[in-house]
Amino acid sequence: MVSATRFRLTIPLLLLASAAGPVCWALPSGLSPLRSLGIILGWAGCGLLLGSLLLMLRETWLSRWLGGLEDMYRWHHRAGIVAYVALLAHPLALAVDSWPEFPAVAWQTLSPFGNGWAVRLGWLSLLLLMFGLATTFATRLPYRRWRWLHASLGIGVLLGLGHLLQLGIEEPVLPLLALATLLLGWRFIRDDAGLAARPYIVRSATPVADGVVEIGLQPLAEAVVADPGQFVLVAFFTGPGFRGCGQFHPFTVSSIGTGGEIRVGVKALGDCTRHLQSIAVGVPARVHGAFGSFLADRPATTQLWLAGGIGVTPFLALLRAGPLSQPTTLVYLYRGAADAAYLPELRALAAADRLLSLQAHATGERPPDMASLLPASPDLASRECYLCGPPAMVAAVREVLRRRGVTPRHIHFENFDFR
Amino acid sequence: MRRLYACTTAVFWLLVATVAIVGHWSPAADPASPAAAERLIPVAELARHALPDDCWMAIRGGVHDVSAYLPEHPSRPDVVVPWCGREATEAYETKTRGRPHSAQADELLARYRIGRLAAEKP
Repeated sequence: MVSATRFRLTIPLLLLASAAGPVCWALPSGLSPLRSLGIILGWAGCGLLLGSLLLMLRETWLSRWLGGLEDMYRWHHRAGIVAYVALLAHPLALAVDSWPEFPAVAWQTLSPFGNGWAVRLGWLSLLLLMFGLATTFATRLPYRRWRWLHASLGIGVLLGLGHLLQLGIEEPVLPLLALATLLLGWRFIRDDAGLAARPYIVRSATPVADGVVEIGLQPLAEAVVADPGQFVLVAFFTGPGFRGCGQFHPFTVSSIGTGGEIRVGVKALGDCTRHLQSIAVGVPARVHGAFGSFLADRPATTQLWLAGGIGVTPFLALLRAGPLSQPTTLVYLYRGAADAAYLPELRALAAADRLLSLQAHATGERPPDMASLLPASPDLASRECYLCGPPAMVAAVREVLRRRGVTPRHIHFENFDFR
Repeated sequence: MRRLYACTTAVFWLLVATVAIVGHWSPAADPASPAAAERLIPVAELARHALPDDCWMAIRGGVHDVSAYLPEHPSRPDVVVPWCGREATEAYETKTRGRPHSAQADELLARYRIGRLAAEKP
């Protein structure tokens, strides 16, 4: 996969530079080890948070440059938590520095009471980061509420820079504050408010399984450029007979037309996507993307595709785009006949394309036995494996493939989660 | 990552609570008391210590040898060093945006006190 090879080190190096830059500027000399450590941790945390802000931007050019939105989000989370740990240790190291001589001074250094605004802002920033991260891990919260609570982390970053300004360190902090404000504003205006998205209108809405609707979108201006295997962010608004939720959600493209029209498969997974099952023709929408590199740069070797439920859409988009050029086995798993989205069409495509072999299995309510569903080791030796489905299914399949001797570089998957 | 967050947050609050409890019940740092026998330092002598590695400042009537502390000061050197060898009370009282230094800074400053500024003869 492109993101796993060519760009593997781009984001870690970027984050390393973002942490090392401020640390080098503020590198203390001649101080006690604990005080030096406290200062270094504070600046490293500050730099990592700024790097993390860059990684939350949803721009197609940036995601291509950094190896994909999935990698960006993974590192956004990692940088955020490492920065948080460093910033927790920062005031403790400064306070403990005075501890052996004067425990009272250690508490006065740390205490938010009786100190000036510099310390108070530091505490406020830390508490907001603590609160924001606690809500980030609360995945059961409805997405709309979760998103706004997660935004408190951005305010925490700004207050942290205010803490540095109050300490009288203006020289590098004012540009850093401007950068943080720019990144937060960029994310809010371009991505959340939809300025980067293109206007579309709903032209069709076809139920394809229980709780799954395929929505056809026609561009009203310049269309997004998408390839099979990519996903787009779509927000549906209020139109004839439908009140949209207006939030951007990721949907895999299931079809790409020559006139720029696209179709997306929408499964009822939350409040908004459940509501979308009853969408009407004529509803306005905005489409941002496309993102992802799943199915890009596929080699000419024999392939194994494994799809679980709605995870069949990227493979369907590729099959709808034209006949295959390499022998391919598509293993399609679904719970029951009512959940088998696109199955009649897939059967018709398999009948028309001699290179495509379709194996459709109804698994029922219990997790399927992957070992019996996947080809034996000799059969897997020369195959490229592409997996798309629920995370638990992808993890189980990866484990079986690994046991059967398939190396990680021949296993491709995307586990995209916006939280 | 969730576990890392929970563990580090719990350890943080535990350490903060420890520092708060012990710090609250410990005697305060013993500031150098401006005793009657404290050395009187003339302005001329003060002015001879105007270098970053030999920096005395007169603040609120006391003279402080802050040479050892200067590298630790959070502001950049060009903000602080010009006040070496001088009466610096005004600068001390009006740091960032006109606000005075904190009580903790006062306590820290007291540890560097070496004498009193002698009144200049008219």
